[in-house]
Amino acid sequence: MDDQRIRIGGLKVLEGGACVVSSSPRGEDRLADRVCAPLAQSKINLTFLTHVAGDREVLCTAGEAGEAALTLLKTHTEPGGHANLHPGASILSLYPHDKRPEIIGNFIRSLARARVIIHGLASSPAAISAVFSSRRKKAVVQQLFQDFRFSSFDSPQDFFEAQPPPEEYVQKVVATYQEKTIKVYWIVPQPDLDLWGMSISSAEILEGLANALMDLADLGLKVPFLVALPGLEGKEFIVSFSTARPQAAGDQGEEVRRLLKRRLPEARPMRLTPVAGIFLHGPHFGDRYGITHTLLEALERARVTILALSCTISSISLIIRQQELAAAQLVLGKTFAAPVA
Amino acid sequence: MSKKYVLIVDDDPDLVETVSMMLESKGYEVGKAYDGIEGEEAIKKRRPDVLILDVMMPRKNGYQLCKELKSNKWTQEIPIVLLTAVGEAVPTTSYSHAEGMAIEAEDFIPKPVDAKTLVEAVERLL
Repeated sequence: MDDQRIRIGGLKVLEGGACVVSSSPRGEDRLADRVCAPLAQSKINLTFLTHVAGDREVLCTAGEAGEAALTLLKTHTEPGGHANLHPGASILSLYPHDKRPEIIGNFIRSLARARVIIHGLASSPAAISAVFSSRRKKAVVQQLFQDFRFSSFDSPQDFFEAQPPPEEYVQKVVATYQEKTIKVYWIVPQPDLDLWGMSISSAEILEGLANALMDLADLGLKVPFLVALPGLEGKEFIVSFSTARPQAAGDQGEEVRRLLKRRLPEARPMRLTPVAGIFLHGPHFGDRYGITHTLLEALERARVTILALSCTISSISLIIRQQELAAAQLVLGKTFAAPVA
Repeated sequence: MSKKYVLIVDDDPDLVETVSMMLESKGYEVGKAYDGIEGEEAIKKRRPDVLILDVMMPRKNGYQLCKELKSNKWTQEIPIVLLTAVGEAVPTTSYSHAEGMAIEAEDFIPKPVDAKTLVEAVERLL
């Protein structure tokens, strides 16, 4: 029988983390001073961050920093806001997605089939990552091997046996870079994107989202950005993703909306167009506290509003209004040491 | 004329993506592998004109792979650029520059990598 699984490069799991899911009811977009500044001042490294406009975010830290991060966020959250700690969190990343919605969709479908409660989803330029309880790690990895074929591992057992001991993760983190100006491999702008946002009733219907993403591949669309996180009180799931159409194609907005409605009948997808993505490849935000804060401060100075943000693996991806792209590129070029594409 | 083939082996998928994009934009063909063993397999399938190799990787680290390639007559001529996050900045690591210098890689680039410098290093070796 033919192997129907998608061939993919790799998979990695970062264990022993803590995850904080927080939201603020006022929607003032105070990510910098409400979240990132206090964490940076307390020298707390982030290993994962997603944010969508309206002051909702998911962040991960090392396990021992979780309580401190929660306290800081609660201190800076407006009355009516929420902040919940999930200790024992894992970040699992699959790569490379090549911006292909069928890969991202299959990944989400694997998570749905493994019946895992997702605390957050985020894409990097190469990878798609999910945060969930470490207790579900084995089930998720087993399901991923049902749906994907990995170059390096024949089975989940192979994968688990090849995992480095925890002290090697520490060695990686000890490689903290102390350069005065933060180095970035490359800053890559991507204009002319659509940003789609919607709330789905619960993470339990993630399979519908997965199928919708897989359908987008039939339109020839790429998905360079995706974040998802629980909404207020965890009763809904907020999804935000951007699509890039092939150069020759016209506006496919209505077709995308129709596909989303077909797979997720209760959702009300909202589209913002045109928007721009900026992808900071490799500032290694997880190795040094304050990098995300530096980015947000710079954008604030340039009066650029972030519509959605993801920090995972070693990169930061953000979606902004298209008319603010030039200002964002200018200020980021001055703030970080990086070649600009 | 066929395109020059560069293989990059690194467990940071974002770095692999970045360097691939940069090299592809300059007309190179790029292969990708995410750990030492996968890199070894990729070299068996196709000999690269230049190999970019991270040091700290799971399963087989870059020093081990470099040493093996340099001691094999079929692969010893492959120019290798090692990406190192070792030495003074990482006093606790078990890797060392001295070890790296002893295994005859053609070039060393410290992390955090300046991707432009890396592409220039590849161009020098071709």
